[in-house]
Amino acid sequence: MTEVIAASELSKTYGEVKAVDAVTLSVRKGALFGLLGPNGSGKTTMIKLLTGQIRPTGGSAVVLGLDIVKDPIGIRERVGIIPEQETPPSFLTATEYLDFVGAVRKIPDASERAEEWFDLLEFKDKRNVLCKDLSRGTRQKLMFAQAFIHGPVLALIDEPLINFDPIMQDLVKEYLADYVKKGRTIFISTHILEVAEEICSDFAILHRGRLLHSGPVADLALRNEHLPGFFLSLVREGRHA
Amino acid sequence: MPELFRNMMKEEWRVHSTMFGSISFALFPVMIFGIAFMGAFLLPLIQAALPAGSLAVLVHANFLLLGFLVGGFGLIGNEVMNRRFGQASLLAYSARSLPLSERFIFVTFVLKDIVYYFFFWVFPFGFGYIAASPFTGIPLERTLLLLVTLTLAFLFGLCTVFILSTVYARSRAALWLAVIVLGVFWGSLAAVTGMNPALFFPPLLLYFSFSYASLVLSCALLLLLFLLSVMLFSPEYAGTVKEVKNSFSPLTRRLSFFPDPPLAAKDLLDLHRSGSVVGQTLFSFLIPLVVIWFFLSLLGPFFPPHGLLFTFAILTGVIASTMYTWVTMFDTFGPYACLPVSVSTLIRSKVSTFAVLQAVPAAFIAAVAVLTGDAPALVPAVVLCLAVSFYAVSVTVWLTGLSPNVLVYDVRVLISYLILVGIVLTIFSAVSFAGLYYALTSVVLVIPSLLFFRRAMVKWDTVDQAGF
Repeated sequence: MTEVIAASELSKTYGEVKAVDAVTLSVRKGALFGLLGPNGSGKTTMIKLLTGQIRPTGGSAVVLGLDIVKDPIGIRERVGIIPEQETPPSFLTATEYLDFVGAVRKIPDASERAEEWFDLLEFKDKRNVLCKDLSRGTRQKLMFAQAFIHGPVLALIDEPLINFDPIMQDLVKEYLADYVKKGRTIFISTHILEVAEEICSDFAILHRGRLLHSGPVADLALRNEHLPGFFLSLVREGRHA
Repeated sequence: MPELFRNMMKEEWRVHSTMFGSISFALFPVMIFGIAFMGAFLLPLIQAALPAGSLAVLVHANFLLLGFLVGGFGLIGNEVMNRRFGQASLLAYSARSLPLSERFIFVTFVLKDIVYYFFFWVFPFGFGYIAASPFTGIPLERTLLLLVTLTLAFLFGLCTVFILSTVYARSRAALWLAVIVLGVFWGSLAAVTGMNPALFFPPLLLYFSFSYASLVLSCALLLLLFLLSVMLFSPEYAGTVKEVKNSFSPLTRRLSFFPDPPLAAKDLLDLHRSGSVVGQTLFSFLIPLVVIWFFLSLLGPFFPPHGLLFTFAILTGVIASTMYTWVTMFDTFGPYACLPVSVSTLIRSKVSTFAVLQAVPAAFIAAVAVLTGDAPALVPAVVLCLAVSFYAVSVTVWLTGLSPNVLVYDVRVLISYLILVGIVLTIFSAVSFAGLYYALTSVVLVIPSLLFFRRAMVKWDTVDQAGF
């Protein structure tokens, strides 16, 4: 098994708050990995740590063989990231934003690839509109396109289906499933458990910054359990603990 | 009104304390008080070089500028908040969800700004002089009058920005017409009376020659500006969704000589499309500098030859250094954090864009030199202005990274900035007064500027970026 992410005792504290508390986690190549947890459990912080956007206060992690502290830019060159809240720059159009991403990532055929994404996510008619005037759903499509335009071997996505309508959700789920079939890896964080159960091969549960569980989704089926019930019982236990 | 007003005050406080930290922010008025209190003891020394009236002119000009700045920030606050904190929203922009009219919210917002910044800036300064009066021998009634006239100067700045912005919201042509009419009015006043028009600034007239009639007149004029702003306020802003052609790729190619062409192209498009180039150049650069020029020129007789132009060049350099905030204010590090872009790369790019914008102050100072008949001092004045601007921005970048707006009210940062920039300003003011070409020595500021930039790159690459 080849690990694309390996975190050891990874921690991040903000003052007194332990956003991520000594998490040890590994993600294998080709997995569609779901990081689950209630609001404020540390999922977004975990993605920021793994992509070198913020520095850990303890522990270590290696992503695609690169240390998150020593080579955060190297990691961001290789992975695709969709943050939960961030939106594309207000005063660029959708086309310009993808050209911008292409120029920064040094993709020679970025414009052609952008056209493919406009077609795939069905927003060609909005490509010359300034991002500030796009709907939330269209901005999310654009963020999706920027994360995959360079064909990364690993993509980390914070709440992948948020702001998408049911038709687009279906399309994205299908895209992600195809993506991992090609031997690439997807790491998503979500609190929509039904989606996680439907599309993820592996999952982990974070609660108050601590890792409560990690393992394949298939194991639950063997025990005749469902992810939502398992998650709720584990988190409720954690709450009472 | 009271409920909305109270909550807007709370909101303003929380915005600032979130940005700057509660303690740092709370200490700010204390620092202003301290500066004014201690400054009062220096008055005899200052008056040995400058007449008391001239100092009063400068102080009033500062509070007029403060009004401009507060008004300007109020107008773009929501956009800045959104870029800084993500999905931020202010009560001032909540007419859709509250059963209150836009106009009512606007009036409450203006009143909130007046009260908040009075207690935050104006009162601590005025109170510093009042508290010092028993020890300095300055009559108490003069210090009380100063507090009143500084308040009026601040309000004139605030109301002027609000009225110009409401005119701008209706028609850009009307704004330019209003600016031209104002210019012609002040110019005619100067031509008819043969006096510097700044001397007709109502708070100054009141300070130099107090009468209740002048006080009522000043207040009436302010009230008129305020009522006109409210009347002209246009809540029906229909946002238009328009398509624009791809300018990014051609611009990136044209900027290929930049260290990071795509980042520079994005910055320039941000500036152009947000309207910041025109708006900021007018409200944050030209108007403040024109005001400064009129007030500063009152001190002309006390300067050595070319001294007035060189002093103005230094002040222009300091104001030009704030152009760094133009290229950072609509951007957080968030969108870049998805990309292989380090903080130091982004700082380098922002500084490059800032360097392009320095064509504006360079042209401005050159024009002032020619228009004032001081053409021989043109080159030294432009060099001095640019050297000061780059030095001041290097200190800003070192102290604040990509968030110059965020940290400007942090007392520790502000004191560091004032010391580092103040020392240089003092030295080069003195040097430039020594002779026509002595100002050229300011090129040595390149060395500390580069050092500050280099240190900033190392420093900010190891700090988690806020706001995403």
